[in-house]
Amino acid sequence: MAVQTKLDAHFAQEVMARPGGEHLLTCMACGTCASICLVRRFHPAFNPRRVLHQAALGMREAVLSSEEIWLCSACDACYPRCPQEIHISEVMGTLRDIAIGKGYEAPGPFPEVDRDVCSGCAACARVCPYEAIGPAPDEDDPSRQTAHVDKTRCLHCGLCVATCPSGAITLEEVNEQEVLTRVSAGGWLDQPGRLAGGPEPRCLAFVCQWSVRSDAAWARAERFGDQVRLVRLPCSGRVDPAVILWALGKGVDGVLVIGCDDDECHYQRGTFAGRSKVYLLQEMLATMGYQPERVRFSRQSIYERFGLERSIEDMLQTLGQLPAPVAEQAI
Amino acid sequence: MVDAARHPNITILSNTEVEHVDGYIGNFSVNLVTKPRYVIADRCNGCGACTDVCPIEIPNPFELDIAPRKAIDVPHGQAVPLIYAIDMDHCIQCYKCVTACGKLDAIDFSQQPEELNLDIGTIVVATGFASFDPTVIPEYGYGRYPNVITAMEMERLANSAGPTVGRLVRPSDGKRPESLAIIQCVGSRDKRFNEYCSGFCCMYAIKNAILLKQMYHDIDITIFYIDIRTPSKGYEEFYQRARESGIRFIQGRPSLVSEDPDTGNLIVEAEDRALGQVIEVEAELVMLSAAAIPQPDAEDLANKLTLARSPSGFFMEYHPKLRPVDAPTDGVYLAGAAQGPKDIPASVAQGSAAASRAARVLSQDTWEIEPIVAEVDPTLCISAHGKRCGVCARACPYGAIVVEQGKPAQIMTAKCHGCGGCVAECPHNAIQQHHFTDAQLLAQIKALLQDRPEEKILAFMCNWCSYAGADTAGTSHFSYPASSRGIRVMCCARTDDKFVLEAFRRGAGMVLVSGCHPQDCHYITGQQVGARRFERLRSTLERMGIDAERFRVEWISAAEGEKYARVITEMHEALSSYDPAAIRQQNREAAPKIARRLRKWDEDPRLESIFQDLPLFQEVAE
Repeated sequence: MAVQTKLDAHFAQEVMARPGGEHLLTCMACGTCASICLVRRFHPAFNPRRVLHQAALGMREAVLSSEEIWLCSACDACYPRCPQEIHISEVMGTLRDIAIGKGYEAPGPFPEVDRDVCSGCAACARVCPYEAIGPAPDEDDPSRQTAHVDKTRCLHCGLCVATCPSGAITLEEVNEQEVLTRVSAGGWLDQPGRLAGGPEPRCLAFVCQWSVRSDAAWARAERFGDQVRLVRLPCSGRVDPAVILWALGKGVDGVLVIGCDDDECHYQRGTFAGRSKVYLLQEMLATMGYQPERVRFSRQSIYERFGLERSIEDMLQTLGQLPAPVAEQAI
Repeated sequence: MVDAARHPNITILSNTEVEHVDGYIGNFSVNLVTKPRYVIADRCNGCGACTDVCPIEIPNPFELDIAPRKAIDVPHGQAVPLIYAIDMDHCIQCYKCVTACGKLDAIDFSQQPEELNLDIGTIVVATGFASFDPTVIPEYGYGRYPNVITAMEMERLANSAGPTVGRLVRPSDGKRPESLAIIQCVGSRDKRFNEYCSGFCCMYAIKNAILLKQMYHDIDITIFYIDIRTPSKGYEEFYQRARESGIRFIQGRPSLVSEDPDTGNLIVEAEDRALGQVIEVEAELVMLSAAAIPQPDAEDLANKLTLARSPSGFFMEYHPKLRPVDAPTDGVYLAGAAQGPKDIPASVAQGSAAASRAARVLSQDTWEIEPIVAEVDPTLCISAHGKRCGVCARACPYGAIVVEQGKPAQIMTAKCHGCGGCVAECPHNAIQQHHFTDAQLLAQIKALLQDRPEEKILAFMCNWCSYAGADTAGTSHFSYPASSRGIRVMCCARTDDKFVLEAFRRGAGMVLVSGCHPQDCHYITGQQVGARRFERLRSTLERMGIDAERFRVEWISAAEGEKYARVITEMHEALSSYDPAAIRQQNREAAPKIARRLRKWDEDPRLESIFQDLPLFQEVAE
């Protein structure tokens, strides 16, 4: 980065004057936030410590025009660990507010609503952790309500996409088609599991991308090869029960949903949404006379480095013990 | 220690606790309780035959529970005096030790706690520090992963007299670790736990690293730090030597330590600030440099000795620069980490200083104190007439006042520091402070408000902070309006609320009461005594119809000359916005109510000459 010679002495004061920005100058740049933050796994350039330091130095333009301030998803992994008790996500929010005030726009991607399909039921508003989507009078026909996205608040977790009963919402990379493609890529669904008379049970695992801290943990989970299909989702709350049922119907022995531990969710209550869906699905399967053990939600604590591998092992063991009727009977 | 034990003028009372302390400088009376050892000290020769036969093994707290000890044992090998003691919580009373002791017959199961009373001239508090428990920081995994240890545990593991005879092994498998990660500032420089810097952890981390590097040339050591602090003589050179010896230093506070369940190795995640990148370092052993914290019973000891504690919980010195060894109570001195985190050279230096401060007192027959002490008039004190009061004793920060119903309150003159808090608090004007009597201070109020009082700001200032702050404003040539008139008291606690009322009765335009910031008070809690009183006074004045902005309370330190000038300027501007007639009107209307509050003074023969120019209460009431 080029050296910026002009430093704005008032910028830090401006940030600190707003709620959430008060402790900006107490940062001693220990880097705790930067190393706990998982955004870097997908955006290597992201560094909250540097954003804070830039703001404290008064590098107004560099901060407000940077993509970084929009990448923080306010998961607050850093805040309880910060030795200076700086609420970093609130500082980021403050910086975003200032940026919006100066005419900068959030880069997205944002969910897109098909207004012809949207019924205005507001299910998306109830599930959104950021109050970023909700019904409002439609532009073309003000007599009916349709979902509108607030681009200044949306952090693209995809919960609304999975929740919409009409299938009216799509989000780049996590739309329904994309997920289905990832599940069935390479003809995986056509291979026989125990349900379809194969030798070993096959398991489909939807993995919240934030619940796995390192590439090493991911690599360990990949050792199961074709027996397990790992599908990465932005959040376990993004999992769609219809897709789970569809996979079971295709002859998959079981579906595992991996999410974050309770207070570690990247999208505040996304893991809760994911877990609730799986529990309801289990009850539904039991009512229908199938084994509820075929779907499972597994919580990954930040403190268990290779928990993913262990969860899959446990699931495969459970599935191996279940009877293996033919696929049509299973679902 | 052995030298101290042999010295004819030194008595070591180990296994003994302070129960109660009375008296004052040169004349303390200390009650002590020696806990039973169940071993007769005079007979035990320290041979250790009892330990050899004892069948009970329990965790050894001296070795931080890494090694076992017996139910009859000495705290550690170098213990002075070398007398064995039985841990009754674990002893099964098999009496094998009694047999082993044989003819010495030193073991006595009937021993009871022994009370001891000593007349003591001076007291040195050197109770040291405790170590922060890192289990409360879940991200570092102490207590969850066996291979995460504290620096204190490392000290025992690397010590040639320790449980492993100096061989470094890791707890999970007893293997010699080939790599070690050291994490600094665990529980210190952390607002969640302790905001202060523990000071000596950088040096002991470097010391341990160099020591281990000398023992095992191939060991791979990484130190994670926020800042390395090596300010003392020779320390920076030592740090450079560590860098040259190949010890890796990474500037970045780790956010997470996780375990590889297969190997028991630990992965430390931190941002390397020099790289600007997050790195993961795998280590076979992790050492946490835990903060030094106050002893858990510091509060208890502070109450017994009337000591003050800093916000961090360590004992507070009388003055950070000029009297760094003295406690606020005369005749009590502080040494070592009890006063604040300190390394060995600094502790030794402070210990020597404390000893010579104490010797200064012990070598004299008489001890001069400031003459500004408080004195009780036994005829006026209502406690003497059998009534319940004790307000003065509650206000005294030094515990210098003893109130017994039926007797007048007693002030231990040698213990009194002359803050004047009791004088202002006494509801019966039974206490006077020499050189700061009611008569003297009221005469000052009267004189200062003789001429055009409604244009004046009367400022009460404490001697140590605010008066010095006003002085700083003067010597620094800060200009402020000339309408202020200052009255010096020793502590804001001496500023009687009735002085403020008297000022308004005499027509003052504004009144300022100022004192030290709460943590800077020279009389431990004097500022708080004053602050509570002024809070009550605020509502009283409101009821009397005096505008809230005409009475101001400010905490101004000796360095805050600028603040003093600013406060006076602000008050002057507020005063200028008033019509003088309105002020006179307010004061006139409040006068009868004030007179009722000041009736006791008006009728006091000692103050007759001061109030003779004012109409009597009865006249005002009419």
